[in-house]
Amino acid sequence: MLHLCGKPHFRYSCLMFLVWVFQLVGLNSGFGLDSGLNQSLTYIWPLPCEHTSGNETLTVNPALSLSIIGHGGSFRILREGFRRYKRIIFKFSSGISVSRNSRRIRSLYDISALRIIVKSGSDELKLGVDESYTLFVDKTEGKSIVWETIIEASTIYGALRGLETFSQLCAFDYTTKSVQISRAPWYIKDKPRFAYRGLLLDTSRHHFPVDAIKSIIESMSYAKLILMHFLSRYLHIQNCGMVLTQNGSAIPSRMRVELSGIHVMAEVDVPGHAESWGAGYPDLWPNATCREPLDVTKNFTFDLISGILSEIREIFPFELFHLGGDEVNTDLWASFVLTDCWNKTRHVKQWLDKNKMKPKDAYRYFVLKAQEIAISKNWTPVNWEETFNAFAKNLNPRTVVHNWLGPGVCPKAVAKGFKCIFSNQNVWYLDHLDVSWDEVYYAEPLEGIGNASKQELVIGGEVCMWGETVDTSNVQQTIWPRAAAAAERLWSTEEALSADNNSVLQRLQYFRCLLNRRGVQAAPVTNYYARNPPSGSGSCYWQ
Amino acid sequence: MLHLCEKPHFRYSCLMFLIWVFQLVGLNSGFGLNSGLNQSLTYIWPLPCEHTSGNETLTVNPALSLSIIGHGGSFRILREGFRRYKRIIFKFSSGISLKLGVDESYTLFIDKTEGKSVVWETIIEASTIYGALRGLETFSQLCAFDYTTKSVQISRAPWYIKDKPRFAYRGLLLDTSRHHFPVDAIKSIIESMSYAKLNVLHWHIIDTDAFPLEVPAYPKLWNGAYSKWERYTVEDASRIVSFSYYLAWCTAGIHVMAEVDVPGHAESWGTGYPDLWPNATCREPLDVTKNFTFDLISGILSEPPTFVIFYLSLSFTEIREIFPFELFHLGGDEVNTDLWDSFVLTDCWNKTRHVKQWLDDNKMKPKDAYRYFVLKAQEIAISKNWTPVNWEETFNAFAKSLNPRTVVHNWLGPGVCPKAVAKGFKCIFSNQNVWYLDHLDVSWDEVYYAEPLEGIGNKSKQELVIGGEVCMWGETVDTSNVQQTIWPRAAAAAERLWSTEEALSADNITVLQRLQYFRCLLNRRGVQAAPVTNYYARNPPSGSGSCYWQ
Repeated sequence: MLHLCGKPHFRYSCLMFLVWVFQLVGLNSGFGLDSGLNQSLTYIWPLPCEHTSGNETLTVNPALSLSIIGHGGSFRILREGFRRYKRIIFKFSSGISVSRNSRRIRSLYDISALRIIVKSGSDELKLGVDESYTLFVDKTEGKSIVWETIIEASTIYGALRGLETFSQLCAFDYTTKSVQISRAPWYIKDKPRFAYRGLLLDTSRHHFPVDAIKSIIESMSYAKLILMHFLSRYLHIQNCGMVLTQNGSAIPSRMRVELSGIHVMAEVDVPGHAESWGAGYPDLWPNATCREPLDVTKNFTFDLISGILSEIREIFPFELFHLGGDEVNTDLWASFVLTDCWNKTRHVKQWLDKNKMKPKDAYRYFVLKAQEIAISKNWTPVNWEETFNAFAKNLNPRTVVHNWLGPGVCPKAVAKGFKCIFSNQNVWYLDHLDVSWDEVYYAEPLEGIGNASKQELVIGGEVCMWGETVDTSNVQQTIWPRAAAAAERLWSTEEALSADNNSVLQRLQYFRCLLNRRGVQAAPVTNYYARNPPSGSGSCYWQ
Repeated sequence: MLHLCEKPHFRYSCLMFLIWVFQLVGLNSGFGLNSGLNQSLTYIWPLPCEHTSGNETLTVNPALSLSIIGHGGSFRILREGFRRYKRIIFKFSSGISLKLGVDESYTLFIDKTEGKSVVWETIIEASTIYGALRGLETFSQLCAFDYTTKSVQISRAPWYIKDKPRFAYRGLLLDTSRHHFPVDAIKSIIESMSYAKLNVLHWHIIDTDAFPLEVPAYPKLWNGAYSKWERYTVEDASRIVSFSYYLAWCTAGIHVMAEVDVPGHAESWGTGYPDLWPNATCREPLDVTKNFTFDLISGILSEPPTFVIFYLSLSFTEIREIFPFELFHLGGDEVNTDLWDSFVLTDCWNKTRHVKQWLDDNKMKPKDAYRYFVLKAQEIAISKNWTPVNWEETFNAFAKSLNPRTVVHNWLGPGVCPKAVAKGFKCIFSNQNVWYLDHLDVSWDEVYYAEPLEGIGNKSKQELVIGGEVCMWGETVDTSNVQQTIWPRAAAAAERLWSTEEALSADNITVLQRLQYFRCLLNRRGVQAAPVTNYYARNPPSGSGSCYWQ
């Protein structure tokens, strides 16, 4: 159970070893309470890189205090995060206490303070920001009965991940009516396996109220997902605290996602999937009956894309921007969105002939021009894999290729030096309801890529919640718990997980109940179809 | 569109008439924007008793101010500002008291002040703060965000709304035994109830499957919980109840009626106290012979922190003025004394030697013992100053012996309330064919057109039907899907229970559109209400599209 996380933390390696031995003893002594849950499992999701634990049970003071040690930077985000987690941790013990034992308990808290040490003063949220942290719940050296909780991290975002882990160690005990940490002392050293751990939310097929989106972002932070891929193809509706009006102007109303440490990547999918644009500006359609892909001939088309991208640059500070480019088939009969529409429209056809282009050339022309616009706004373009499959050589070398059609694309993309995001639809499309939690869990983004330097080009993966059959009423239970399965794949190292194959279902069921307790409508884990109701009465912990 | 709420409010009748004329003009001028929504409909759910509207569109200041005029009681006064023209003015005449049948009527005006020509005023008049809360809910439904001007607007002003509930008891049953719901999930449900003006949460805490509630006097009872985490402390229970009454007092004002279902449906009790089982293999109904059984019931019913005295532990001064909810549900269902037609067999009593002995000694058949048990539980409840509610089986089996104060809770089918009120009992309507929300194939309109007073012609008998309740039994709902199983169908029942038949009769054609609008309103407020017209409740939407037509 001792997994090494790159360089071992030298100062604590001795302590770790002792604790490890200690833990082995602790494990054998058994914890079995009434519940049938295996108390010896580590109920932290996703599983940390390295951890050791002991066999003591500590109580945590509801008036837990925070001290932050670090240079520069503003710790506003961290303080806000601490408050947020305090609400989560002490949800059950706050309020009026009429417990007969309460006075006695109050004087006996083992943990009353949390210390966070942040090494870097920067609070910039970039892709690849250092999210590593070390979490101790330990006795102070020298004094024998003082327990200390310390989170050490390079950045505040690492500290936020550490807070999440800390909150998962805390559990309300109904007998003593206090929040407890069992199996102390804890030593956890953790960092993500991939920098990009995403969830796509499609707000185009169904509208989600802003509050619903906020809840999803909050729930993502529980599973240490870091990126919401936000897709809105309908320009005339508003989303995400942002109003895109028909003249292409956008007004931010500050969705403070940085508080959860989560990026938001916007997608403007061109040239296909854009019929709705023309509802306000019919000029964007090749003609009134043939509406997709967007008219490639007009400057107005690209002016508008450029206008939109400038307008929303401030709202989406994240460095990646998704330009779509999917499902524009240049082959007439195997098509979803036909470029045939271009062939059929007179002025477009003329333009194609004049420029000696076939529709597929115009498709390339369109995608590359959109890429140029994005790069000029200081964005790194992301495109769905069709663009790579059709004209890999012409793609801007900074392009991030977003896989979806099936397995095997990332190996090809990284072989040509492109970065890649794994979203193989057979396993990571959440709208495929018949994909079970374990198929999601055992999907491997690096499959077929042996070379370590090529592996690094796979920046991560993303589960996709397409919106045809989800709306506000059922989006949470379609996302969860399966997104959590992918989240662990993306966060935890293979070494950390290899020791844990037998307990993963139990741990995921526990995490699903944790989501439920925190107000997230995660569905039962083992149902054959995702988001189905429980099959009968029973405990959350075994359904 | 002008429906009279029994006695017309004399002072305003003239004004009403004027506005009514005004409205007629407004309606004909039409409102059609791009949305396909019929702007001339009154999107208030449940529909008020009486309302008139005009054709002006007003903007509402986000810094809306509140002034309260009233005597007695203590109000937490919120002072905010109303930009441009408006303020909300509350007028009450009495203090806090949330009893069943508390006056929930209110009058809501959004009108130009007489004399000054451009000053608009919003006034809510109510007898009690609970009426004012209902009025506030209505006011919130009049306000809608306009995406073009980016402001909150009230269209079709001036408004005059006079409203009061048709039934005093408008309930939702939540079953926390078959699946455990975290406290926050319950609070969300309570909050959402207030949007539809439901006012009783029937908390079916305990059943055969699990005993999640802490009873300090009998600390082993909650060993019957599913796991060491799926429990409710007394603090949780009091938090849920006080939340219903106070913490969200701006929106709630909801009773919590607890249910302790005896003698059947109680197997989980014996996990901590096996003595309650007739024997180790035959565990329901509870052992009728032992004093311990009744001592324990008495202990639960008098458990101070849980249901009664926790009010006193809260620090608000006004709490002392509050009466805890007067009804207590004692279950009594599905104890069949006929061996072969049974869910929970009293046969268990026959099979257990000491119980059989006791029956013989007391010259009782199992069905007599069932009656004995129910009546004894009723006595205990009454001695604790509660009015007992029992499922209809008790009435069907021994109506004559039931305490006359008993409220009969219908569920098996139609026609029970007419019989119960004929014998002078109060009745709650929950016909399972229409108001059991776990019946997923009951469509919104079957829920909607169910009539609690069906078969009761006599007016004085009608008054004995105190209301109705939709029941969310927990076998296939847990935290992940309870909201979309409850909503939007519970809203259909909520309008039936709130709005008068006269108010609704003019509205038969638009009800689906209005319900779809209300479902989207629930969504916007964070409630996971499912699409309205799906064949099976809580199914996903069938494809892409707007909330307003799915």
